[in-house]
Amino acid sequence: MPKIPITMPQLGESMAEATIVAIKVQPGDKVSADQEIIEVETDKAVMGVTTPCAGEIAKIDAEVKGTYAVGAVLGYVEASEADAARFQKRAPEPPKGDVAKEVPGREEESATAVKTQNGSGSHFQVDETALPQVAAGSHFQVDQSGVLPVPAGTKGAGYFSPRVRARMTELQLTQADLAGIAGSGNAGRVTIKDLENFLGGIEGQPAEKPSAIRTGVADAMRRSWTRPLATVGLSVCLDPVLQDRAKRDPKPGPALYALRALALALAEQPNAAARLIGGRAIRSESIDIGVAVEAQDGIMVPVIRNADKTSLADLTGRYTELVDLARRRRLTGDMTSGGIASISNFGTFGLEWGTPIPLPDQTLLLGLGMGKKVPAWDESRGGFVPRTEAQVTLSFDHRSLDGGGAGRLLKRIVELLGEPAKL
Amino acid sequence: MSVTYLEAIREAQAKLLREDDRVFIYGQDIAGKFGGAFKATKGLAEQFPGRVLNTPISEDAMVGTAIGAAMEGMRPIVEMQFADFSSIALNQILNNAGTQFWRTQTPCPITVRLPSGGTKGSGPFHSQSMEGIYSHYPGLVVLTPATVEDAYTMLIDAVAIDDPVIYCEHKYLYYHLKADALPTEKLPIGKARVVRPGRDLSIVTNSAMVHEALAVAQQFSAEGIEIEVVDLRSVKPLDTDTVLASVARTGRLLCVGEAFPWGGVTAEVIARVASEGFHLLDAAPARINAKDTPIPYHPNLWSEHRPNAKTIAAKARQVLQE
Amino acid sequence: MAKSEMLQTAERGASISKKAPHEKYLEAFRIMLQTRIFEEKLASLYRGGLITGGVYLGKGQEAVSVACGIFLQKGDVFAPLIRDQAGRSAFGEPLIDVARTYLGSRSGPMRGRDGNIHRGCPKAGQLAMISHLGAMVSVVVGKLMAKRMKGEKGFIGLTTIGEGGMQTGATHEGMNIAAVEHVPLVMVATNNHYAYSTPNDRQFACADLVDRAKGYGYEGSSVDGTDLAQCLEVIGAAVKRARAGRPPQLVVTSTLRLAGHGEHDDASYVTEDIRREPFAKDALQRTEQFILEHELLDRAGLQQIRAEITAEVDEAVSTAQQEDAPVGSEEDWCAVSTRALADRPSLAE
Repeated sequence: MPKIPITMPQLGESMAEATIVAIKVQPGDKVSADQEIIEVETDKAVMGVTTPCAGEIAKIDAEVKGTYAVGAVLGYVEASEADAARFQKRAPEPPKGDVAKEVPGREEESATAVKTQNGSGSHFQVDETALPQVAAGSHFQVDQSGVLPVPAGTKGAGYFSPRVRARMTELQLTQADLAGIAGSGNAGRVTIKDLENFLGGIEGQPAEKPSAIRTGVADAMRRSWTRPLATVGLSVCLDPVLQDRAKRDPKPGPALYALRALALALAEQPNAAARLIGGRAIRSESIDIGVAVEAQDGIMVPVIRNADKTSLADLTGRYTELVDLARRRRLTGDMTSGGIASISNFGTFGLEWGTPIPLPDQTLLLGLGMGKKVPAWDESRGGFVPRTEAQVTLSFDHRSLDGGGAGRLLKRIVELLGEPAKL
Repeated sequence: MSVTYLEAIREAQAKLLREDDRVFIYGQDIAGKFGGAFKATKGLAEQFPGRVLNTPISEDAMVGTAIGAAMEGMRPIVEMQFADFSSIALNQILNNAGTQFWRTQTPCPITVRLPSGGTKGSGPFHSQSMEGIYSHYPGLVVLTPATVEDAYTMLIDAVAIDDPVIYCEHKYLYYHLKADALPTEKLPIGKARVVRPGRDLSIVTNSAMVHEALAVAQQFSAEGIEIEVVDLRSVKPLDTDTVLASVARTGRLLCVGEAFPWGGVTAEVIARVASEGFHLLDAAPARINAKDTPIPYHPNLWSEHRPNAKTIAAKARQVLQE
Repeated sequence: MAKSEMLQTAERGASISKKAPHEKYLEAFRIMLQTRIFEEKLASLYRGGLITGGVYLGKGQEAVSVACGIFLQKGDVFAPLIRDQAGRSAFGEPLIDVARTYLGSRSGPMRGRDGNIHRGCPKAGQLAMISHLGAMVSVVVGKLMAKRMKGEKGFIGLTTIGEGGMQTGATHEGMNIAAVEHVPLVMVATNNHYAYSTPNDRQFACADLVDRAKGYGYEGSSVDGTDLAQCLEVIGAAVKRARAGRPPQLVVTSTLRLAGHGEHDDASYVTEDIRREPFAKDALQRTEQFILEHELLDRAGLQQIRAEITAEVDEAVSTAQQEDAPVGSEEDWCAVSTRALADRPSLAE
C-alpha cells in the first residue's frame, strides 16, 4: 500500500522549524483524515499536526523534543490506493484563458460590460548664529578636489574607451597593434574614428595569418613590455670555459655554462629574481632557469629545474634533451612553466650584443653574445695577447631591480664563468 | 492660432468626452465654472454634464473609485490637483490598479493625470516629479509628455490603453509651451523621440528637461559640438532601443532628470546602457538630477535645486572631455 | 431567485415574528455549515503542511457573512474580506475556486499568482481584495457609479469590514465618497473584538461604531452577529433600502472571532471573560439549535446535510489537490494587459 508522508507544516509566515511536544500515535494505529497526531510548539503557539489522509501509521521518524524544519518528513501514513491517488498529479490541465464559469454572471459578461461608444524684530527673526555651519578646520571637511585616486595613465594615450575596446575585441586587436596610431582624442586618446582610419589605411597591404607560435610569442612579448625594462652588459673571457669544455664528455655548450653561473649567482642573490606583484615581492622556492631556443617561426623556452643544485655534468643530458624537444616543438606545458629567469644565447645568430626581453612572468633574462678573438692587454707580459671574449647582457624589470643590483649579479656571473671547473 | 500645452490637455479631454461615452473626469475643483486648479478642464463640465465630477479631498478614494469604474468598463481620468498629492493614493495606484490585471485578468484602464514638476515658488509639496516611483512598480504605464503635440496625442492614447496610465504633465510647460496647432500625426506610446540629432553626446531626458537640454545643445552647436537630445516621452515602457541607438552614434551619454537623484529614470537609463551598451561608450555615462533635498520654495534656491541649462552644460562638457 | 421574489422575501423578513424563520434561513444555514466544514478542512490541510501561505477563517462570523452574500444577485458587487467564505459562497463562488486558490492549483481563478482569501472574480461582481484594509470600499463605489452611468438599474454594492479596518484612512475616504456619490452601498462592519491581537479599547474610542453612520450620512443599524435570523433580517433590510435608493447603509454586527487571526495564530490573547460574553456564542451552534427547536429539520436531517457537504468539500479538495501547480518557466511574466507596452529591462529578455 502506498505511503504518504506526514510533513512539518508551515505554521506561520516566518516559521522555519518547530519542536515536537507530543506524538499521539504509534506505528500500526489506524488514523482518520485530518486527525491531530502530533503536537508541535513554535515561538507563537502549540499546535496540532494533522494526518494528510486516512490510513494506518506506517512509521514515525520524529521524536518528542526534537526540532524539525518546515517540510521535514515526520513519518508516513499507509493509505488506500484511492486516498493516495489524491497526491498524484494528473496530466497537466492548461491554465484557463478565463476564469471558471461557475460564478453567476461570468458568461453574461458582455451583456453588462461596456456601453457602446459614439464613434470611436520679531521673535521670528532668524538667528544667523543658529544656522548650521561647517566648522573651519573640522576633521569632517570634505575633499573638494572631486577627484578619485585613480592611477595615472587611465586617460589619454593609455585609455581605450569601452567602445574602442569592443571594436578591438571584435577585430582581435591588442593595444600594441594600435601603437602606430597617433590618437586625436582628448589627451591623445585613440578614438573610434582614429581606429577606423588606421584600419582603412592598412587595408590592401600584403598580409598573412601568423602561426600559432608566432602569436604566442607576440602575446608574451607584449605582456612583458608593459613593464619598465632595462639592460646592462659586460665583457666575459670565454677561454676558461672553452678549455674546461674540451676536457668534458659530453661537452656542455657555452650557454649551459652561463645558465649554471646564473643559477649559482641567483642562489647567492635570490632577491634579484623576485617578481613584483601588487605590494609584494614574490620569490620562488627553487631556482629553475629557462633557455630560449629558436624553433620554426618562434621561440620556445624549456626550463631546467633546480639549476643551482645540479652540477654542470649532470645538467648536460637534460639540457640537450630539452633543447631537442624544443626545436621539434614537442615540449609539454610542465617543461616550460615556473622558471624564474632565462638565458638567451643570441650569439648563435652571430650577434654580439642585444637587449632581449624577459618573459612576462620573469624578472631577468641573461643574454650571451658571440665569442670572438680580441687582443687583450697582458700587464705581466707587457703586450697584447689573443683571447676569446663575449658580451653578456642582463635585461631586468626595473621595478624589481636597479642598475647596481643587476650589475652585481652580472659581475658575479662573469666571475663564475672564470672558474668553470667549479660549475 | 496657437495652442498651449495646457490647452492641448484640455482639448484632448474634450475630444475624449465627445467621442467616448465611457470617459469621465474625476478630481478636485475640476467642475463648474472653476475648471480645475490649472484650468485643465475649464468649460468641460458645462459642455459634458455629469461627466466632469468634483470629488471630496480624498485622493485614495478618487483613484479607488476610478479603479472600480474602469473595471466596470468605463475610462475614467483622475486629475490629481498636484502630482505631490498622489502619494495619498499610492496604495490604490500601486497595489490595486497595478496588480489588478496580473491577479484577476481584469483590465484596469484608469488614467491618472499628475500636474508635475517645479515652478517658481511652489515649494516642497507642489513641485514633485513622481514618474520614478510609479515606474518602479509593475503593471503601470508612465508617460511624461514634453511637447504640446505629445500632451495631446499621448493623453488620448493613455485613455485608450487598457492598463493604468500615469500621465505626468509638467506644470511649467502649461503656459510656456505653445504650438501652432493641434497635431495631426503622432508617435506611438513606448517610443522615444530624437528631438535633435547629434554626433558627440547623447542627452537622454524627459518632460520639461527636454527643453533645457535643447538649449544646451544649441549653445554647444556654436562651438561645433553636436549634442543629440532624446526625449523619452514614455518612462515605462522605456524605449531602450532608441537610447542605445543614440549612444551608438555618439559614444557618450548624459541623462537629465528633474526628479530626486536616488534611483529613478536617469539611473534606470544608465543602468540599461551600461549593461546592454557598454561597448558603445567612449566615456563613463553621467547623470544630473535635482538635489537630494526637498524642493525649495525661494526661486533662487529652486533654480539651483533642479538641473538647469548652466549645470547641464557643465556636466555635458565634463562628459565630452573625458 | 428573481429580483421581485427577493424583494418580497426581504419585506416579509422585516415583519415576521421572531419565532418564524426567515425564508432563506435553511439555505443560509446550509452555507454556514458548508463554510465551517470547508474551513475546518482548510485548517487541517494547513496543519498537515499541504497549504502554503496563510489560512484565514471566518469561524464565528458565518451568520453575518452568509447574510451579506445571500441577498445579492447578478449585477451586484460584493467586496468580501478575509472572513467571508460564507458570503462568497452565498453569492455563488464555487467551492472548487476556493480549494484551487488555497492549494495553489494553476487551474484556479488566481493561477497561483495570488492566494487564499485574495481571490476574486471581478467580472462576476466579486472583487479580489487587497490586504490594505479599506482599499476596496471606494472600488465598490466606482463600480456602482459606472453601472449607474451605463444605465443599469436595481444593483447594489456590499462590502465588509472589521472594527480594525474601520480605522483606516482609506475606509474613511471610501465611506465618505460613497455618500457623496449617493451610490447604493451596504457596508457591514463586524466587530469581532480583536484586530489580529488588539482589543477594542486600542482600536476606537466611540461608544459604538454604528454612531458613525450619522456622521457619514449613512443609515445605521446594529445586529447580534451570532443570530442568523437577526442577521438575515437586518442585513436583508439594509440591502433592500440600498436597492430602493436610500443613502448608504452601515450595519454594525457584534461577534467574537472563534479562531486565530490566521491558523498560525493560537489567539492566546483572547481573554476568558470575553469568551463568556453573549457575542462570543457560536453562530452555527445557535442556528442548529434553532432548527431543532423549530423543527425545521430533525437530527437525522442535519446529519444528512452534514454528510452531503462533507462529500462536496472532499470532492473539491481532492480535485484541486491533483491539479498541477503553476510553473515559473511557463508563467507569462507580464503585468500589463497591453503586451506591446510591457517594459523590457534587458535585451536578453
